[in-house]
Amino acid sequence: MNVPDDFAQSTPNRWYWTAPYVAVVVFALSMLVLVGVLQQREKDNQRNAVARDVQWAEQTMRLHMQGTEEFLGQLARDLAAQTLDPDAFQVRANQHIANNGELVNIAWVGDDEVVRWSAPFDTTDWLAGEALSSFQSPTFQLARESGRLSYGAAYANPRGVTVLEVHVPIRHGREFRGAIVGVYSIERMVRHLVPGWFAEKYRLTLQNAGGSPLAVNSTLRDLDESVSFEIPLDPPGNGLILRATAFRTGGQLPQALPTAMIVGLSVIVLWSLWLLRMHVFRRVQVEKERDRLFNLSLDLLAVVGLDGTFRRCNPAFERILGHSPVELPGRPLLDLVHRDDVASTLEQLRQLASGQPVKFENRCLCADGSFKWLVWSINPVRAEKLVYAVAHDITGRKAAEEALRAESAFRKAMEESVITGLRAIDLTGRIIYVNSAFCRMVGLEEEELVGVQAPFPYWPVEEIETCTRNLQLTLAGRAPASGFEMRIQRKNGERLDARFYLSPLIDLTGRQTGWMASVTDITEPKRVRAALEAAHERFEAVLDGLDAAVFVSDARTDEILFANRAFKAIHGFDSVGRTVRGVAVPQPERGDYRVDPRGLSVAELPRELFDGELQHPLSGRWYHVREHATRWVDGRVVRMGIATDITDRKQTAEISRQQEERLERTSRLITMGEMASTLAHELNQPLSAIANYCAGCVTRMQSGNSKPEDLLAAMQKASFQAERAGKIIRRIREFVKKSEPRRSAVKVADILEDALGFAEIDARRLGIKLVADVSAELPLVFADRIMIEQVVLNLVRNGLDAMNDVLPEERTLVVRARPCGPHAVEVAVVDRGHGISEDDRARLFTPFYTTKSEGMGMGLNICRSIIEFHDGRLIVDANPEGGTIFSFTLPTEAASERVARRA
Amino acid sequence: MSESHVVPDQQIYIVDDDEALRDSLVWMLESSGYTVSAFDSAEAFLAAYRETFSGCLVLDVRMPGMSGLELFEELGRRRCTLPVIFITGHGDVPMAVSALKKGAVDFIEKPFGDQEMLRLIAQCLEQERASRSKRKLEADTARRLEHLTQREREVLDLIIAGKLNKQIADVLGISIKTVEVHRARVMEKMGAHSLAELVQHVVTVEPAALGR
Repeated sequence: MNVPDDFAQSTPNRWYWTAPYVAVVVFALSMLVLVGVLQQREKDNQRNAVARDVQWAEQTMRLHMQGTEEFLGQLARDLAAQTLDPDAFQVRANQHIANNGELVNIAWVGDDEVVRWSAPFDTTDWLAGEALSSFQSPTFQLARESGRLSYGAAYANPRGVTVLEVHVPIRHGREFRGAIVGVYSIERMVRHLVPGWFAEKYRLTLQNAGGSPLAVNSTLRDLDESVSFEIPLDPPGNGLILRATAFRTGGQLPQALPTAMIVGLSVIVLWSLWLLRMHVFRRVQVEKERDRLFNLSLDLLAVVGLDGTFRRCNPAFERILGHSPVELPGRPLLDLVHRDDVASTLEQLRQLASGQPVKFENRCLCADGSFKWLVWSINPVRAEKLVYAVAHDITGRKAAEEALRAESAFRKAMEESVITGLRAIDLTGRIIYVNSAFCRMVGLEEEELVGVQAPFPYWPVEEIETCTRNLQLTLAGRAPASGFEMRIQRKNGERLDARFYLSPLIDLTGRQTGWMASVTDITEPKRVRAALEAAHERFEAVLDGLDAAVFVSDARTDEILFANRAFKAIHGFDSVGRTVRGVAVPQPERGDYRVDPRGLSVAELPRELFDGELQHPLSGRWYHVREHATRWVDGRVVRMGIATDITDRKQTAEISRQQEERLERTSRLITMGEMASTLAHELNQPLSAIANYCAGCVTRMQSGNSKPEDLLAAMQKASFQAERAGKIIRRIREFVKKSEPRRSAVKVADILEDALGFAEIDARRLGIKLVADVSAELPLVFADRIMIEQVVLNLVRNGLDAMNDVLPEERTLVVRARPCGPHAVEVAVVDRGHGISEDDRARLFTPFYTTKSEGMGMGLNICRSIIEFHDGRLIVDANPEGGTIFSFTLPTEAASERVARRA
Repeated sequence: MSESHVVPDQQIYIVDDDEALRDSLVWMLESSGYTVSAFDSAEAFLAAYRETFSGCLVLDVRMPGMSGLELFEELGRRRCTLPVIFITGHGDVPMAVSALKKGAVDFIEKPFGDQEMLRLIAQCLEQERASRSKRKLEADTARRLEHLTQREREVLDLIIAGKLNKQIADVLGISIKTVEVHRARVMEKMGAHSLAELVQHVVTVEPAALGR
């Protein structure tokens, strides 16, 4: 719940809400001030304009009046000069009046204040002879006295027209002859002396000094009294004031309108703000309710982006899945999905992307690593690019479903797998229920059985009587507890043995409604028992037929539990029940066992106890005795022993060993035989040399010209050659000497020297270079010198033979000896001969297999026997440079000692 | 065995790879007064060989590298007339026989006695000497024959054919006198002292002349 949050949000909200109000008021006020200022300025402007215009109008009037003054002055001068007659006066005055509309009359008033002439001639105001009125006289007098023109005060003439007179004195020299009077109609002045546009804008008024208007140019329109200006009209004087008042224009008319609008609009804004605020408050209220629903929802609610990442999650995520709703936004939804459901969920999300709402179930990962089943209902809102997901935890339901399914499957499996047939009959003997096992057993369908009365279809014809009796016994409640064993028949006529166990069928109310029979097919058990018996017989026959003595005895008490015929024949037919130690000889001593059989537990079984050859102390016969600890049929730990008479085999092996030795020696003899001519040649060399030395000496001594030192040298050479011959003979004798194999520490170099001594002869004959490549510091090997010599000689001779067809330059055979690890020496015979085909290599060590015309095919076979006798290995490899490499290993003296100690 | 047989310009050449045998042979033969040159291989001998070598060659059949038999064949190709004695081992008899067939004088099997060896050597030297004088006579006769004129040659052929002077005169259509002159010139040019000698000389060079 976010109650504190609400408070925290409401305080700034007040500020937010106050600010618009203040802003609106400030705005309205400033607007009002602005409007006021603007209007004030406007007024000033207007006033200025009025003043300017009025001054301009006054100037215009003055200009006109000056024109008239000049004209009148001209007339006055002409009159004074008496060059003006009345007609000319009329013409000129009329013309001037016509041109200046403000002028009403022009008249000549004589110095007697009587009108002499007047124009226009049709005027009725100024009739010749009329005297000036009292209004007019002061003006006339002023002009007369000042000698300058003078304006009179405005007055209304008898026709009601307000007029203004200007009197221009006429002087002829010092003589005053009256005045020319110009009469202006004030009315006309106002109307005619200003242009039309002025009249449009202003009402022009001429006022007298008292302020009462004398003439107004127009009264048609409303006046704006605030915009007016007045100026005295000078020089007419007499307090005549020209006043202009502006007409009210269209734009000026609603001067208060902006203000009204500003105020009005501000009010509207404030009002709408208040409405908005109310609305928002309502919305906030609603949203808070929704938030509470969101937060309190038991189901998972989430807003997810179209990219599949959480935007917002409700606290149910924490409650159900354990993920904090604060951490989830930004994580993809798929992160939560169980690995096995990712594919299906993706499929659903894809569908979602196409705009369809989806509903699916999947497993989601909880924070603690477990999974919950959720059913998702997701609706996309494409406009917002969001999806709204609702997930309901259905783990419980799933588990229940799962359990129910398992239960149902279990029941079904049980039903299917139960092999005991069940058959129920009611108290009248009618079948009311059979199970599938029973149906299978008798080969009939359920429909064929249920509701059937005796005799039942599975009763064999020949057994109907027995069956009927058994049924009656059953219905009478006297069926034996051990059940009936009955022969029944299958639908296909096949007979089978079955055992019926019967029990009363009790309903819910405790009333017996019939009898339930459980039926077991005992045909197979019967057959199995028979087969087992047969197998047991066979087993005993086999065991008894064995030559080997077999016994089984208790590991602890040594009591014989079983003995076969051979054992009994050797150790007495009463041996079962006695102890092994008491009857059987030879026996391994307790210490010979790998483990003490008395201490063995069943868990450690089976295991071998002894495997070895023992000699009977009296008969001298040899037995191969093997003993196993194993579990006897009754669960006891027993020793099972088998002793085989191997006396004959041992003898055969001994003979075979002797034969092999003989064969080895024969092989050596054969080798010597094969080498006879070579050896003879080798012997011939020193013998011939000796003969020559001797003959030379004899000749010289006979001839008497011999020097003793020459003879001595020759004789020494001869004796050296004799030694050489002797060495060859000795070597041959040693090689073919019959001797038991005798291993001793020998130098490999010595062996090779002797062997190569023989081989050298052949090599020389064949033009082959023999190279001995023996590593320095080779350890001593533990070997029979003659045997190894035989092997080396054999291999070298093979190599020499192989190089028969090789170019003379390449005829080199290398015998190499190297250490091979710390415990062996490797000797390799490397030839450059024709090599050995794969085929031949496979059969290389087969006895009597040979590629040589006069070979016996025993050489390599014997070589291998010899090397293996020495715990070494003889291997053949192709020489990468062509030819073959035969190599064998011999154990060093040290290695052999270790082996010997271990043995 | 007398030392008078030993001719100074005749030498015994020994080729054997076995040092002991070679040395002992040298010792023995030098004891008997021969001049002996020894070589340890066929190649060494070939390197030293000149046509002027005279005497006999004692050759071991079996040697590493070039064998005795191969050396013998090579010498044959080089028209060497040195008589050759092969020394063979026990197993090399067939090889020695084939050598004999190709013209070797003899072979001697190890171990051999000194007498046998000395006898063979003396025989070889004698044979070489004889064949050399024979070759000298033949060369002489052939050279003389070339000096005969056409007519003298015709007369010679007829003389060898056993014709009498008269018959020769008839055959050639010349006078007996002329025949006699020719005959005397032939005898003189051929250096023959008798008719028998003449015929013998010519026939050794041109055995076919007898059948003409």
